[in-house]
Amino acid sequence: MERRTFTAMGTEIELLVESDDATDAFDAVEVEFERLEQVLSRFRPDSELSLLNQNGSIDASPDLAQVLWLAVDARERTDGRFDPTVHDALVGAGYDRTFDDVPRDVAAASAASECGGRVSVEGQHIEIERGYRIDLGGIGKGYAAERAAELLALTGPCLVNAGGDVAMRGLPTTGVWSVAVDGSITLGLTQGGVATSGRDRRRWRRGGKEQHHLIDPRTGAPAETDLLRVTAVGDDAVAAEILAKSLFLAGEREAADSTVPAVLVTADGRTRLSRGLGR
Amino acid sequence: MTRHVVRLYALVVGVLTFFLVWALVAAHPWSASSRRASRDPRLIELVARRRWIERESSRVQIVVARRWAIYRKALRARNAAIARVQRQRALAAQQLAVAPVPAAAPAAAAPARIVTLPPLVITRTS
Repeated sequence: MERRTFTAMGTEIELLVESDDATDAFDAVEVEFERLEQVLSRFRPDSELSLLNQNGSIDASPDLAQVLWLAVDARERTDGRFDPTVHDALVGAGYDRTFDDVPRDVAAASAASECGGRVSVEGQHIEIERGYRIDLGGIGKGYAAERAAELLALTGPCLVNAGGDVAMRGLPTTGVWSVAVDGSITLGLTQGGVATSGRDRRRWRRGGKEQHHLIDPRTGAPAETDLLRVTAVGDDAVAAEILAKSLFLAGEREAADSTVPAVLVTADGRTRLSRGLGR
Repeated sequence: MTRHVVRLYALVVGVLTFFLVWALVAAHPWSASSRRASRDPRLIELVARRRWIERESSRVQIVVARRWAIYRKALRARNAAIARVQRQRALAAQQLAVAPVPAAAPAAAAPARIVTLPPLVITRTS
């Protein structure tokens, strides 16, 4: 099994391929991550997403149009729990620069921002309602993981772990991809994707109050839930990312009762399996 | 009769000589441009380029043939790998079928189960 790790999109990317020599494929994936970051990052002022946020409309590249279409579709399917228009809420909460540069504790209080702005994706033309801006942080990583897996699959069975968003193609010789969750549980998958959403990592304080990056679009502020972390399995990394965030916002009771295969870690440290994982 | 023939020959010879001299004069054999045409550097360059392209074409044909052979070999190996993976996938699907599957599993849910294998990767909060 060939393995390579590198940093992109503000996180560590891990590539695994069952192949004798995957150097060229690994190089191609690194280039692809850089290309997609230049399209989807809200932290790069010259990215395509930043241009959209500045101008309110754009004739986008196929990648941006596709990711935004997926995000808007997810908003409808999750009844608004997943929402791409959380940009200003994230900035209001203090996540206004790459996470490594976010001050961990400052006195300024955070302010909630309204989410749920209208987003129109007609072919490759995108328009967002005035006063709203887009963040594609989580779903963008899932999308990039899937694109990377497509590239690596030309070399052999592969797995891409983009900071917790996992995409896979083919099967390793062991017959199953084993993905560790929470140190104690290992999931075996033959296809699909895995993603983890939680408030245990990207967090900071504003005005003495803990903030994190998972915005509840209903309140426009960091979600208050009895869950610490959710790992969900979906059809692919994008679907898993959407499911993980939705279950996280749903809270322990609803998430545990879900038919989505998921591992839940509660705020008080318990680990639970959802009904979808054979609870 | 004989004089007529001689005259006719003389006339033909005269006409031929006239056209020959005309053609000779029209060709301007004394002018430099005429001599230059035969060794025009552009023509020489074109001829050389044609020869180079012919040689290059032969080389490309050889490279293409070699790469095509490599590709066909890789394709055979890849097809064998795909067949192997499909066999493994069928086996894994059989194993997963043994695990309890929720009655109301959604269409979006991918096959997943808890295993005791050593993990290949760790998922954490993104």
